[in-house]
Amino acid sequence: MKGRWSGPLLLGVPTAFLLALFVLPLVSMVVLSFWRTENYHIVQDWNLGNYLTLATEGAYVTFLVRSLVMASLVSVICVVIAWPVSYAIILYGGRYRLLFTLAFAVPFLTGEVLRVIALQGLLGPLGLINGVLMALGAAPLRFIMYTNVASAIGLVYLYLPIVVTVIYLSLLNFDARLIDAAKIFGASPARAFFEITWPLNLFGTLIGFALCFIPCLSATLAPRFLGGPNGTLYGMAMAQQFGESGTWALGAAMGVVLFLTSILAVLAVCLKVDLRRTGFTGFGRG
Amino acid sequence: MYITLDGVSRQYGDIWAVDRVNMGIGQSEFVSLLGPSGSGKTTLLRIIAGLEKPTTGRVLIDGVDVTDLPPHRRGVAMVFQEFLLFPHRTVYENLAFPLRMLKLPKAEIEERVAWVVGILSLAGLEKRYPNQLSGGQQQRVALGRGLVGRPKALLLDEPLANLDRELRQEMEVEIRRHQIALGIPFIYVTHNQEEALSMSDRIAVVRRGRIEDFAPRTQIYDTPRTAFIAQFVGRSNRFEGTLDGAGMLASDCGARLAVPAAGLAAGSRAMLFVKNEKLRLDPAGATPAGANSLACTVKDVILRGAYADYILAFGNRELNASRPRSERAFLAGEAVTASFDAADMDLFDADGERPS
Repeated sequence: MKGRWSGPLLLGVPTAFLLALFVLPLVSMVVLSFWRTENYHIVQDWNLGNYLTLATEGAYVTFLVRSLVMASLVSVICVVIAWPVSYAIILYGGRYRLLFTLAFAVPFLTGEVLRVIALQGLLGPLGLINGVLMALGAAPLRFIMYTNVASAIGLVYLYLPIVVTVIYLSLLNFDARLIDAAKIFGASPARAFFEITWPLNLFGTLIGFALCFIPCLSATLAPRFLGGPNGTLYGMAMAQQFGESGTWALGAAMGVVLFLTSILAVLAVCLKVDLRRTGFTGFGRG
Repeated sequence: MYITLDGVSRQYGDIWAVDRVNMGIGQSEFVSLLGPSGSGKTTLLRIIAGLEKPTTGRVLIDGVDVTDLPPHRRGVAMVFQEFLLFPHRTVYENLAFPLRMLKLPKAEIEERVAWVVGILSLAGLEKRYPNQLSGGQQQRVALGRGLVGRPKALLLDEPLANLDRELRQEMEVEIRRHQIALGIPFIYVTHNQEEALSMSDRIAVVRRGRIEDFAPRTQIYDTPRTAFIAQFVGRSNRFEGTLDGAGMLASDCGARLAVPAAGLAAGSRAMLFVKNEKLRLDPAGATPAGANSLACTVKDVILRGAYADYILAFGNRELNASRPRSERAFLAGEAVTASFDAADMDLFDADGERPS
């Protein structure tokens, strides 16, 4: 079926969906961020106060920087772990490959809150690790008790499956015989990896990175349950504006800041990476 | 010998994909490994390349035992059926890759790439990416990447299988020309007998992991050593039957054929092959040209241009004859006599071996 209307229809439905459920809320959030909230009431009074607060109050700047550092670190760690894991599945998974990747999705079946609480039980003062250590007479590991390290562990745990899946899919589409070709023409295994395997899977790796980085930036659960007093992240602070403090306008401004930061990060990557050099062939015959 | 395979075998599970292969290949020889798919010819090539390790046996290149060397230390190059150009690199970068791995200075890399671009007429394509090239152009780049590093040997794994017929024949001539010009051995894997026959000095017929015969191409075609080769190389008519004491073969299809005096006992089973182009045709009633004659009816005529293929009905079976167009033409339905001499046939015993 390739009727006159099929094209507009197929593209129109998702467009309408995006407009209604993404663009409209985003616009309303942007509008709200230029208003103010007073005693749990929205006051339609155009001003830049929210942004001024975010830019000048130390705590918010700290939260943002901490979030950026945290998200970057967690994403890098995820990529570093995910690469060998995905590669091993491709190399040695044999006919169980699919099963291995599905196994990574098992934690998703329980829900994020449950997973974070489970991790709290593992890392906390009376948790499995420290409990065992203390029972054995050793000192508990303080750096995993309500700290940023614990938050990071939690975030890696939450987003690693996504990164593994994305890199696995990238490697699955990668023609491993190109490595043979590189070796025949004189590349050592390490050289072949950096000349061929890495660049041809860079695009997939970046998608995995982004799919970890962006949600980490606005993470609320992991820092709330695992992080300590110095563990507040931007997303968590934002959630508080909409919850306990009722300062929705400020929360909306924080949302806009997060959104712009994410876009900037993606743009920076796009400008740096020449898709053609990653074997991307979506340009057709030029 | 420049390249020596000494008792090379490769086992997968309990199957011997390559089985006790001994071969010697000369310094400037074009050798084809010809065999049906699954015969182990590609595995053999990958063993020479170092991409597979032989279970037993040794591989020597230029006097050096390379059995335990990884592919990147062997100094051989390869052209793949699927081209396997690096999709994220331009034509120039693909061609320069082997040279960069050799750590040659930039000026020499440029010079050598310019040389292959010249001999393979790739000028103007240097800045393109592989997906912007036609199949034929990709194949030329793959060939160029194989030649640019001046390898000790070039291994070709069905490099023309993905090209159309006309392009393939053009490339056959070209590949052979480059091989002669460079004076290095080319080892060419194919299941296509025409490719093997048109380019090779010698052909190794591979069957079930073993070398059935390794001989000059004319010998492989004209005097096949085994029934398998007779069947596989060229197109021929096969007769099976029992020998009687008077040097006649009573074939299962009802023909009585005079066979050359051979070391086969009376009463033993034998098979003989007559190449399609050796089967001569005369109108029924005329004196047949060959000593053995079979009365047939023309069933179909397939025009091939310079020659015509005739499908003949002989009793319950079909025979195939291929005759030049310069000869008398026959029409479907016509009665003809197919004939051939004893010298035109290849006789084998029940095990498919030539009687000695």
